[in-house]
Amino acid sequence: MQQQETDLALITAVLNGNTAVYSELVKRHQRFVFTLALRFTKNREDAEEVAQDCFVKAYRALGTFRQTSKFSTWLYSITYTSAMSALRKKRLTTISLDDDEYTVQPVSPSSYSDTDTIEKKSAYVYLNQAIDSLLPDDAAIITLFYKGEQSLEEIGKVLFMEPNTVKVKLHRARVRLKEKLQYLLKDEVKELI
Amino acid sequence: MKTIEEQIWNYIDGNLTIEEKKAIEEKIAANKTYSNLYKELSAVNLHLTKLETDMPSMAFNRKVMDLVDLEIAPVSLKTKVDQRIIYGVASFFILTLSAILIYAVSQTHFSASAIKVPDLNIDFSRYLTPMFIKIFLFTDLILGFIYLDGFLRRKKDIK
Repeated sequence: MQQQETDLALITAVLNGNTAVYSELVKRHQRFVFTLALRFTKNREDAEEVAQDCFVKAYRALGTFRQTSKFSTWLYSITYTSAMSALRKKRLTTISLDDDEYTVQPVSPSSYSDTDTIEKKSAYVYLNQAIDSLLPDDAAIITLFYKGEQSLEEIGKVLFMEPNTVKVKLHRARVRLKEKLQYLLKDEVKELI
Repeated sequence: MKTIEEQIWNYIDGNLTIEEKKAIEEKIAANKTYSNLYKELSAVNLHLTKLETDMPSMAFNRKVMDLVDLEIAPVSLKTKVDQRIIYGVASFFILTLSAILIYAVSQTHFSASAIKVPDLNIDFSRYLTPMFIKIFLFTDLILGFIYLDGFLRRKKDIK
């Protein structure tokens, strides 16, 4: 709630002419916006471009932000539309017959040592890989639900869907995620989960 | 009919009523399929909650601010009008209209023979002076420019 109030205070300051304060808003939300963009673009360079574009668009439209929802929800909806446009453009320019955009490249578990920390790290690597291998919409829902601190209603606003549709999609995404993890880890899946 | 997995995810997310929650808890305690699946899904859920967000490059913030500096500073499009002013204006009009209506009703003689057709024989040539026409055309021109400006701005925003 404090974060929400501070976001609004920063927005008011920007609208009152103190535009340098926008840097603080960028710093606060850049990680998540970048992560969300990465779920669509699948590579860091494109994700950074989308995230930059999103912050510039948000700046331009800051005066129209009605403050009836969280700033993060509004910002994530801009990220979603920017990422979708970028994805559409990319698909139009680089359609390949053997497109392996969504195929998973498993990381060899033997490349990690047996220490606890490394095991935990590899678990996160596998999870991230499994999320990346999901369809963009599914990956975005998982990311928004678990990392974006967004409710089903708020995710609905971001993705322009009904909360019930989001609920169904979240369930399906988790089922797919579990299947991907089982595929990635095979026997090791029991150790992870 | 919801699948076992869906029921357990709803239980983990806390989307169940007290009765449904109790029923699932009993099934998890008594049924091995439910129990194993619950353990599995809880572990996946735990890992997902602990996932970290990715960090963009160090220069990200600076790059964004460089781009932002090229933009026109945003201004709030929401005008904040004091509610008392709105109520004041509304009450003024309501009182004026009510007074006119009451006066008109009180002055009316409700008899069929009293109805007179109003005299509409107005001499428009008295009002349509060359000055009036010039003012009218000038106002139209200004309104046309305002509309054109708005139209071009919208077009620019779409681009």
